[in-house]
Amino acid sequence: MRRVWSWAALIVGGLYFLLPLIGTIEFSLRMRRGEYSLDAYRSVLSDPNFRATFSYSVAMAALTILLGVLIVVPTAYWVRLRLPRLRPVIEFITLLPLVIPAIVVVFGYIRLYNTSSILPLTGTASGTNLLLLCGYATLALPYMYRAVDTGLSTLDVRSLTEAAQSLGAGWARIIVRLILPNVLGAVMSGAFLSFAIVIGEFTMAALLNRPAFGPYMQLLGANRAYEPAALAVIAFAVTWGCMGVMQLISRLFGTRMQAK
Amino acid sequence: MTFLTLDHLQKSFGPTRVVHDFDLGVEKGEFVSFLGPSGCGKTTVLRMVAGFETPTAGRVVIDGRDVTRLRPNQRQIGMVFQSYALFPNLTVAENVGFGLRTAGVPRAERAGRVAEMLALIGLPDLGGRYPWQLSGGQQQRVALARALAPRPRVLLLDEPLSALDAKIRVSLRNQIREIQQQLAITTIFVTHDQEEALSISDRIVVMHKGIADQTGTPAQIYNQPATDFVAGFVGTLNRFEAEVLDPARGLVRVEGAEIALDRPLPAGRITLAARPESLRIAAEGIPAEITGVEFLGSVQRLRARAAGREVVLDRFNEPGVALPQPGAQVRLAAAQAGWLVLPG
Repeated sequence: MRRVWSWAALIVGGLYFLLPLIGTIEFSLRMRRGEYSLDAYRSVLSDPNFRATFSYSVAMAALTILLGVLIVVPTAYWVRLRLPRLRPVIEFITLLPLVIPAIVVVFGYIRLYNTSSILPLTGTASGTNLLLLCGYATLALPYMYRAVDTGLSTLDVRSLTEAAQSLGAGWARIIVRLILPNVLGAVMSGAFLSFAIVIGEFTMAALLNRPAFGPYMQLLGANRAYEPAALAVIAFAVTWGCMGVMQLISRLFGTRMQAK
Repeated sequence: MTFLTLDHLQKSFGPTRVVHDFDLGVEKGEFVSFLGPSGCGKTTVLRMVAGFETPTAGRVVIDGRDVTRLRPNQRQIGMVFQSYALFPNLTVAENVGFGLRTAGVPRAERAGRVAEMLALIGLPDLGGRYPWQLSGGQQQRVALARALAPRPRVLLLDEPLSALDAKIRVSLRNQIREIQQQLAITTIFVTHDQEEALSISDRIVVMHKGIADQTGTPAQIYNQPATDFVAGFVGTLNRFEAEVLDPARGLVRVEGAEIALDRPLPAGRITLAARPESLRIAAEGIPAEITGVEFLGSVQRLRARAAGREVVLDRFNEPGVALPQPGAQVRLAAAQAGWLVLPG
């Protein structure tokens, strides 16, 4: 009897997740009347805007991950090493982006850094890109911090630090040579989530008027019938592909140290 | 001229004073143990030498140079931790070479030194392994090699054997002592295990409540404990209340038995003590009743009740001599030198 129920749950769940996906794929193949074809995909892939926005978003995602690692790893490490009592506070701060809507964050940015402010970042494209990058890093913060902090909890941070210090290592070497490699798996899982968030992000990119993939999907969805479905499938495949690659990389590193 | 000088070190954490006034001079190449119960401040003193804690007052001088304000990575100190603290992402060889790398030693020279260190600890073929592939004893030996590779001026060992099981603990402690003597490196060893401290040290500092109670050779610590705490902490001790009959000649009475100690004593009542191996069953002496007999192979351990207290006697096994039975009435005595007069 229990068997039956678990199968039922699995089937319902499977339908809930897979049906929309199957429906989207099926619909994306119907551009030519009366037969299945890849016309919609051809149309999307030949669109220069698709390539431009998608590569823009991938680049932003990579930079977001980099910035996130640069901010989060030393912070989480330092908090664990020297300020353990501040951990709940830091954790709360890193969770704020989940509570504060992206639109509030981006309006705050625009107010603070508009062309008539002291730091007119929105005045130039690169300045706006920087602003968007910071916004993305903020959005990714909760996931990144959690992942890295969990990774650090498997290490004896204090002893490792002291051992390295007694061997003459300074802070930079300790973080780059010891802490970062040992939390790489955790950093990777934070990176997956950051990547997925940035690829699909709409609000910030749209309001800062940057040519990102999110706004492009929205634009296409508002004006075409079959192409958005094809685009959704492509975005899905590429995102999963990227995650697979990252997973693979972290596996390769992981086999070197399955100590814990 | 001492090589490592700890000059009136003090350390407080907030209102709690952990180390009171710690003074010690260590000769070059000497092996000194800090022995004491947990919380006695021994690890804190070690950490001040390493630079992980800043003394509230006092100085640390190594080879004539005041290092009190130097950061740990500038002190040229090798340290071995209870938890091994090997770097899990690096191989054994990379671990051992880590200190050389930070010191900017060229690759070829580094490889030679790493091989030399691995040979020294008896693991010449394990350079390519990762720490998790080694046993605890092997990991701790690698940690020792890692600490020694950059030729530190002082080696600090923070309870390095406590996480290991008994058999490895003994063999590794002998190996540590051998390597230490071979390299003639000035070493401080922190432990709460008296047997460990007695067996491998040149000198022992017995610590208690942030104070060095006694500093001396293992034999001095064991045979002539300077304080009541040292007497009780190091080894087993049987205590007897004694009444001084003649302070000048050192004649005392314990439970009706007169004992001549042949040394000047204070008048009144004192506490006499004797190690289990100093006590023996004799024709004359303190009356006692045997309460238990343990046969430990080379040693027989007898438990007895004398003067209202439990006492323990150890004697070597002699095949021809029968063990006393529980309930037997005996008399206990010790040689004059075997009696300790406890201060305070």
